[in-house]
Formats: sequence, structure tokens, C-alpha cells
Amino acid sequence: MQTQDNTMTEKPKETTDPKKEKATDPAIEAGLERLTPERIRNTINQVLEKETGPRFKAYVETCMSCGLCADACSYFLSNDRDPHFMPAAKVKNTIWEMLAKKGNVSKDFLREAVRISHLECNVCKRCAMYCPFGIDIAYMMLLVRRICHKLEITPQYIQDTVNSHSVTLNQMWVKDDEWIDTLQWQEEDARDEFEDLQIPLDKVGADIMYSVIAPEPKFQAGLIYQAAAMMHAAGIDWTMPSTPGWDNSNMAMYTGDNEISGRIARAFFETAAKLRVKRIVMGECGHAFRSVYDIGNRWNSWVMPPFEVVHALAFYHELLTEGRITIKEKYKKKVTLHDPCNVARGRGLHDKARQVVNMVCEDFVDMVPNREHNFCCGAGGGVINCGPPYKGERMVNNRNKAEQLAATGAEVLIAPCHNCHSGLEDIIHHYDLKMEIKFLGDLIYETMDKKIYTPEK
Amino acid sequence: MKPWTKKYIHRKNKMKKWTICATALVLMSATGWMVVFAQEDPYVERLDTWAFESPRRPGAVFSHDDHIMDLDDDCSICHHVYEDGELVPGESSEDYYCSDCHGTEPAPDNQMPLEAAYHNLCRDCHFDRGKGPVLCGECHIKE
Amino acid sequence: MNSFIAFIMGPMVWISAIIFVGGLLFKFIGIVQSVRQKEPYIFSYMTLKHSLRSIGAWLVPFFPKSTRLRPVYYGISYIFHILLFVVPLFLASHIVLINEAFQISWPALNNSLADWLTLVVIAALLFFVVRRQMVPEVAYLTRPSDYLMIAIVALPFVTGFLAYHQWFAYRWMAVAHVLSGELMLIIIPFSRLSHMLTAPLTRAYMGSEFGHVRHARDW
Repeated sequence: MQTQDNTMTEKPKETTDPKKEKATDPAIEAGLERLTPERIRNTINQVLEKETGPRFKAYVETCMSCGLCADACSYFLSNDRDPHFMPAAKVKNTIWEMLAKKGNVSKDFLREAVRISHLECNVCKRCAMYCPFGIDIAYMMLLVRRICHKLEITPQYIQDTVNSHSVTLNQMWVKDDEWIDTLQWQEEDARDEFEDLQIPLDKVGADIMYSVIAPEPKFQAGLIYQAAAMMHAAGIDWTMPSTPGWDNSNMAMYTGDNEISGRIARAFFETAAKLRVKRIVMGECGHAFRSVYDIGNRWNSWVMPPFEVVHALAFYHELLTEGRITIKEKYKKKVTLHDPCNVARGRGLHDKARQVVNMVCEDFVDMVPNREHNFCCGAGGGVINCGPPYKGERMVNNRNKAEQLAATGAEVLIAPCHNCHSGLEDIIHHYDLKMEIKFLGDLIYETMDKKIYTPEK
Repeated sequence: MKPWTKKYIHRKNKMKKWTICATALVLMSATGWMVVFAQEDPYVERLDTWAFESPRRPGAVFSHDDHIMDLDDDCSICHHVYEDGELVPGESSEDYYCSDCHGTEPAPDNQMPLEAAYHNLCRDCHFDRGKGPVLCGECHIKE
Repeated sequence: MNSFIAFIMGPMVWISAIIFVGGLLFKFIGIVQSVRQKEPYIFSYMTLKHSLRSIGAWLVPFFPKSTRLRPVYYGISYIFHILLFVVPLFLASHIVLINEAFQISWPALNNSLADWLTLVVIAALLFFVVRRQMVPEVAYLTRPSDYLMIAIVALPFVTGFLAYHQWFAYRWMAVAHVLSGELMLIIIPFSRLSHMLTAPLTRAYMGSEFGHVRHARDW
């Protein structure tokens, strides 16, 4: 079944597009140096035989190579329909080959496998919606990343975030006191606006634990300010943890370091349990939501998360429809909305998001395609986290998105996910799209009535 | 042109040649076969199909003389008589039409409809004796 | 020769039918067992409602977006899969044989209609071959086994068509028809043709993940 045409399996050297110089990664190169053929073979076979089961087998045995997945992939569409970038081809050039050669693959093959799985796939699962059989190619790309992790050839930048997770339980090497400091700093600043505003730390029994990803305290502290302002204005009984476990991000989930990924999610849920909160609300981040809503709980043997996990989009919807926050004056500029894979395709929040946008903004235009079918930001799934060396090719690989954005004619792009936000900001600059990019929270904060909610009697 | 396209086209050309050769070969041999086999006997003796309302196949080719010879004049092998589902030995039914007993539609009192009667009688005998046509189109030769 | 034909039209039919049904059944049981042993979580997420929702959505012609992006391929593929079952099951000659063996029968397709539909199946298979050559992304994925599978499916239809018309070498064509039909049945459980069993399963699982966990559509 895995018999392949040899002339096609090796990627010819001349495929390098002159416009797109491929970056070298010291971590990958150093990792490859250390590898022996035995280790490669044993690791691949261990993962493919012991860590997979009938699901993987069914995927491999069911693909009829019909090519319908091609149209799902931003990489394929952005690269002039180059077959190398179609989802099934990524499987062909990694997993099929590993299976056919029973793990006896070369270092050059592995270098390519790291690139395909880490840099040419956002594990957004759009292709699973375009495959008539629902074959989960993202799952197989994550398997390749798992193999790369076990072979220690994960790209440097994203590996550093995993190292940080491992040491500090947050993604950005935020020190324990730095975290508390940042919260107090934001609290102080916000008191200029709201006299009694508090960011309650470790309040046991609060209704809601609010959690963020580490980049927020590290360099987007204003987002914590905005969230605190909304919580305060809405009269929410909330708290934030002061101890490690406050970060809901999880890059280990994307490098295949499942053990650390599980640890992160467990620490997160334990923090919420310690605070005996009723619900967990989280900021506008997609992958973090995937981690605590879909993946992290599974690794810790919970079918569904042990807490109700509410993404910011759903929370905003709640605040606005319950009238806890009212909009003073609607936002005037023409806005469009990007549906992040992990909350639209991952949690079906796209309709709520639209309702919120329409409650907050006067002029909303949808991009096409949208909702579950939205094109990927090209940054998520750990791709942007592989760092600056790969930014150039990330821009080439997501031309498609730039075209989609430009077609809306909107002045403001709302991207309610950190990865999407950063990735789309790069796209906007690179393709000179003359768009502002904002979080949905930015707009709500900007337009909301800054008065404290009092329940009607 | 993208390099991968070049590679792909190269491969495609190779495959195209191969495909064309194979197709040509198949077509040529097919025509050959047809010329040889399509020459039919101008006169073919067939079973009548009048008992069937709308027969789906032409009547089976059948030579009564050949069968009489091959079966040593024992008419009762085909022109048999059944009573209460039992074969009556020694009796024969040359004076009847097959359809006098075997109605075309299956019914409780017609366990062996006409079509099945023909098929079973002819084909099973041919199988048993190891000679004679047994496949659909060997009897129901196109007119 | 008659005894050979008796064999391929008698015991061999049974053998291939048993391998076909038994093979798929065995495969299904194997999958269930293996899920139970290695990936029991799959049962935690599979729900009947969402499985059927997803399979149903993908059975409605041109409902999933993917199929609307490729209407020609999808349309041909859809018709092909229906005819793949309808033509052999409702063919007069097949029904006659089944009727004589089991005394059960059902209405048959009109001869010339069946003839045309057979040609449609063959044309669809030819289209698949051409598509595998012409569409770059499909050509890139195509393995020799893809052509082999097309050939295995095409053989019974091509030989059946030629045998029906009795254009040449009828006896050999009919024998080839019987044998290739049996070959296809035997090969199904052991090849990717078994997607007739596994595709609904993978679809059901993905449909459950999307419906039950993700609250999103997967079509």
C-alpha cells in the first residue's frame, strides 16, 4: 500500500523558490548532528506503533488520494497550488514515507519533516472539513512533531517556549514576582479610570477565574488592564491566581511534548480547583483555549474540561446580552472579523462573535470565506512561535490571507486570538494592507459605558 | 514555470507515451478478435419465446436433432412428466408445450417457472455431462 | 471447461462472498477491539447523533463546501459510487442467477439502460484515470496502487459489458467477468477499497469531534 514512485518522493533540490530563502535553525541542525540511524528508526517506530492505534491506521488505509484536501490549505493556495503544500502531500512526504521505510529515513528527510510539520501546517484542521472521509491530517502532522520532539529536532524558538513552560509553567519566562508586579501595575493604572478597581488575587470561591497567556504580562499588559476594567464595570466576582498555573497557553501541545503539555494543563486546572472558582474565563487566545478546552483535559483523562471554560468571545457575548456592559457609542469604522480556527472551528463561537461585533460596531463586513471555513492566519499551531527566522516564508505562505483581507475593504481587522493577531499584523504590514488590527476587547473597552453595573431591582 | 511542474510534466510525458501505446495495443487486438469472431452462422435454430410476455434475451440456440442423437432417442430426459413433485419414470410429454406445466410466473402451484425450468434443465445437464454451453451468452446468442 | 465454469460460478462465488463479508466484518471487529484496547477515548467522543449528522451531511449531493468547489469530480464520483452498487445489483442476468439459487428476486433494470449505466461507470473510471494524470495535486499524490484499484474495479464492468454484447471471445469474456468480479470482492477487505467500511467510521469520528466537542460543522 505504501509503494511509492521513487522519482516523486524526494523533494528535488531545485524546488527552492529564489524568492523564498529557507532559514536554517541551529536547534534542528544540532539535533540532527546527534542522531544515529538506530535512534531515528527506533523513535519513529516507537511513536507510530506504540503511540497510535486504529485511528491512525484507518487514516492511512482510507485515504484514496483524491486531492480534495488541497483546496482547504492556505499554504497550497498561497503557493500557486504547488502540490507539495497540499495536506495529503504533507502526509505523503512524512508519514507514508516513514511507514514505507519502516523508520529508516535520512537526516535530510527529517529536516524536511520538521519543516513540513512545524512550518508548513498550522494544524488548523480546515482540511478535515474538506476531506470527504474526515481524515484528520492535523493529527498526523502533530504525530510528526511528536517524532521530531523525541528526536530533539524541534525548531529553536518554539522549543524555548516549551523549556519555559517546563521551568516556570508559563510560556515567556515570566518570574513569579514579575507576574504579581504586572497585575498590580495594571490595577494601579486602571484606578485612574475606576476608583475602586481591584484585580483580586487568589480570591477563594470567586465566580470566575480569569486567565491569560504569558505574552500578556510580558508585553501586552494593556490587555489585562482592559479585562480588569470590563470585569469591574460589569460587577463580576472574579479573581486571578498569583501562583504558577495562571498561564493557560501551551506550546508543548504543538511541539509534541505531550508530557509537559499535560503538566501545564494539569497545573492550570489545579489552580482553578484550589481557588474553588465556578468557571474559568480566558482572554482572546485560540491555542490556549484549544489546550484547556480540548487537548489538555484529555491528556489528564478528563473527557471534557473539569471546569466550564469560557473563551473571551463567549464571555463578551454574555456581558453584552445580559446588559452588564453597555455600549455608549458604537464604533464607526468599517470592521471585519477573522474567525480563529481554535474558537470557530474549535468551539463554534463564530456566531456569538458576530453578534458581539454587531452590538459594538456600526459597520461590519464579513470576509469570504468565513466562520468554520475561514482561511487560517498562517501563524497559529505553533508556526509563528518558530520565530523570526521563518517570518519571511510565513508571509509568502499566507498571501492568500492578504488577498482575503484586502477584498473586504475594511479599515479595521478584529482578530480575537493572540496568534492570529500577531500573524495577521505581520501580513498587514508585509502586504501593506492599510488596516488597523484590534482585539475585540480593544473595541469593547473603547466603546463601552465606563460606569459600574448595578442590577435592576 | 515552477521547477516542480517541470518534473511533473516530464513524468507525465513518460506516462502519456506508455498510456498511448497500451491503448493502441488493446484497440488493435480488440478489432482483430472482432473480425475473427463476428462471423456468424447465417442460419441458427432457436427455441421459441412466444410463451414469454417480453423476453429479455433472444431465444436460446438449440438443435433438436443434435440433442436426440446425443441423448440416444430418450425423449423423456427433456420431455419429462412430474406428478406431485415426483418424476414419473418412463412417462414422457412430447405432446405438450413446456409452458403447459411451467407457467411464466412463480406461484405456490408453480414451483418451477418456465425460465428457471429451461435454465435448470439445459444448463445443469450440460454441467453434469461436461459438455454443451453453460454461460448465458452461449445459448442466448445475440441475433 | 464446464467443470471449471461450474467451480467459478458455484463454490468460488461463495468463497469470494465469504471473504468479502467476513473480511470486512473481521476488519470491523478488529477496529472495535483495537479501539477498546488502545484508544478507548474514541468511544467517549463518538455520539450517534453527530456521527449520523456528519455522514448525512456528506451524503447530500453538493451540500458540503468541499464538493461545491469541485463539482465535476464530485458529481461524477457521486454517480459512480451509486452505480457501482445499483448496476450489478439490479442487472437482469444477476437477478436470474440469484433467483435460481435462492428463489428470491427483485425488479431488474431494463437491458439497454443497464448497458448505458455500465458505460457510465466505465467512463467515470476513465475520468478518474485522466484526472490522476492531469490535475497536478492529484498526480503528485497518485501511487501505482491507485491505478491498480481503478483497474480492479473497472475489470468486471468492462468484461461484463463486452460479454453482454458478445462481440468477441464470449466464453473467455464471461469467464473473465466472473473471475474479475470475484477478484474485486476478495480484494476489497485487504485494500484501500475497504474505505466502504472505514470511511463512514472516520467520518463519524470527525463528525462527533466537530459536533459534540467543537460545536461546529464539518462540511
